[in-house]
Amino acid sequence: MAENSGTDPAVETNTEENAAASATIIKVTVKTPKDKEEIAIAEDSSVAQFKEEISKRFKANQDQLVLIFAGKILKDGDTLGQHGIKDGLTVHLVIKTAQKTSGGGSSQTSASSGPGPSQGNTDGSANSSPAGNLGTPQGSGPSPTPTQPPNMLAGFGDLSGLANLGMGSANFMELQQQMQRQLMSNPEMLSQIMENPLVQSMMSNPDLMRQMIVANPQMQQLMERNPEISHMLNNPELMRQTMELARNPAMMQEMMRNQDRALSNLESIPGGYNALRRMYTDIQEPMFSAAREQFGNNPFSPSRTENREPLPNPWGPPDTAATTTSGTATTTSSTTSSTTPSVSNPLGISSSSLGNGMFNSPGMQSLMQQISENPQLMQNMLSAPYMRTMMQSLAQNPDIASQVARPSFPKMLQMFAGGNASTPTPEVRFQQQLEQLSAMGFINREANLQALIATGGDINAAIERLLGSQPS
Amino acid sequence: MAASSGVKVPRNFRLLEELEEGQKGVGDGTVSWGLEDDEDMTLTRWTGMIIGPARTNYENRIYSLKVECGPKYPEVPPTVRFVTKISMNGINNSNGMVDARSIPILAKWQNSYSIKVVLQELRRLLMSKENMKLPQPPEGQTYSN
Repeated sequence: MAENSGTDPAVETNTEENAAASATIIKVTVKTPKDKEEIAIAEDSSVAQFKEEISKRFKANQDQLVLIFAGKILKDGDTLGQHGIKDGLTVHLVIKTAQKTSGGGSSQTSASSGPGPSQGNTDGSANSSPAGNLGTPQGSGPSPTPTQPPNMLAGFGDLSGLANLGMGSANFMELQQQMQRQLMSNPEMLSQIMENPLVQSMMSNPDLMRQMIVANPQMQQLMERNPEISHMLNNPELMRQTMELARNPAMMQEMMRNQDRALSNLESIPGGYNALRRMYTDIQEPMFSAAREQFGNNPFSPSRTENREPLPNPWGPPDTAATTTSGTATTTSSTTSSTTPSVSNPLGISSSSLGNGMFNSPGMQSLMQQISENPQLMQNMLSAPYMRTMMQSLAQNPDIASQVARPSFPKMLQMFAGGNASTPTPEVRFQQQLEQLSAMGFINREANLQALIATGGDINAAIERLLGSQPS
Repeated sequence: MAASSGVKVPRNFRLLEELEEGQKGVGDGTVSWGLEDDEDMTLTRWTGMIIGPARTNYENRIYSLKVECGPKYPEVPPTVRFVTKISMNGINNSNGMVDARSIPILAKWQNSYSIKVVLQELRRLLMSKENMKLPQPPEGQTYSN
């Protein structure tokens, strides 16, 4: 082996691999897990030049290439000679498929070759500088490219970590499936995920959530058939609300109750009840069959009546009269109770105006049609394990289960939200917000807390609630 | 020392052979190994790389390891340590040490085994049911020591 090297001293530093001049051309085998190629290159080339050749041969972006030789990752600034790469030897190649992982890969690799040489290595600069490479762009080699992605990822790092939690694959569909598998095997993970502040911040980024949702082919199908959904997705306000809902089960409960209140209002309109019943029956069938597969008993059995309990009172005793109603009481009082959460519930707004309530909107109805027409689709959605967990928790709580039986918005919730998470006590969570509120002059801690719970920790929304409730 | 299988190969000879194999890329290209320091005359410290197998949570990641072949190698197994953070059965979570008792090949070491075999076996274990779905730390993290 290695007969050629050393015979011709490489006078020229020019590193054209085709040059027949004095540069010694060596043949290096580049092996990926899938195939291998023999590449001729000048012995004194730099790794960067080598990668250039490789990118041509393997038709991949240079940034995606990670070269490994003898257990070490080759940095662009090194030369082949530094690593002892000679004629006939084999270099391993990994082609990163996604930007996220490629950045992670190079930051990982720069870190990995760092600790090694730190044990008294006489090797040159190439190995010593990576020690500091992790976070800061170093001049380890002339190319800053491998170090840039780690910086970008620093903020995004947890997200890619989250993504790599289950996957490592750039395909969102696989991603979701793997995530579901993960969640199936470890239900605590779901709450862990929810509690991860990055996830929460990610979820509060409507654009991102929208992209994720849109990427789901099931959603895409749904969107094709029903442009209303894309409208909903495009409304950042709505997305934000929905995300908060997903995070905060207390808020979700309240939302459910809102829906029930609105529904009972609908019943009171002449003809409204029939419409309701029609709609309900449309959904009933597929829901039953889908639900029956999930659990033995049917949580949506008609024996459970809708929830007629009064809404929880977030504003303390003085306002009891305004907010608590029993049964299909006066429209005005229920309107009050429906509009007051309007800050946090855009659909609360629409449901309070009964004429063109959300349920009557043709968009929603056609959506329901779609779903009822295609029970397969619904089953698909319902079979997602994280939905299953949610369903199970719903099944355990008959009140909520009957609310879920209500079509329309809860369905959307299931679609958008992943599942419920267990949260620490609201007081603990909102400690900081409570302090802020009291600093601002809202001295009624109880009311503050309720408002915060209802808005999921959103201070601005909580303030609006508090202001709206105070008797002017 | 009793030879378990015919000729007993001297340590350095073995390690030089493994060095050559590492450079030639023997194997399927999913593991790589080489001397950590090319000047290391004792051929003790080695670095290894495992490419995460597809369709696992390790996919697309490159795991860096340190393998130390002591003076009694190959009669005794080498000590292996992950440098890149990994979540896997048999790997100490805080320092990346591979627990020799949990990895079958290290527990039942034979002198015909080699660094390559160890790396390949570790990679195979990544694909096992119990490991492949373990949630992994974000990429790029290493053990601090």
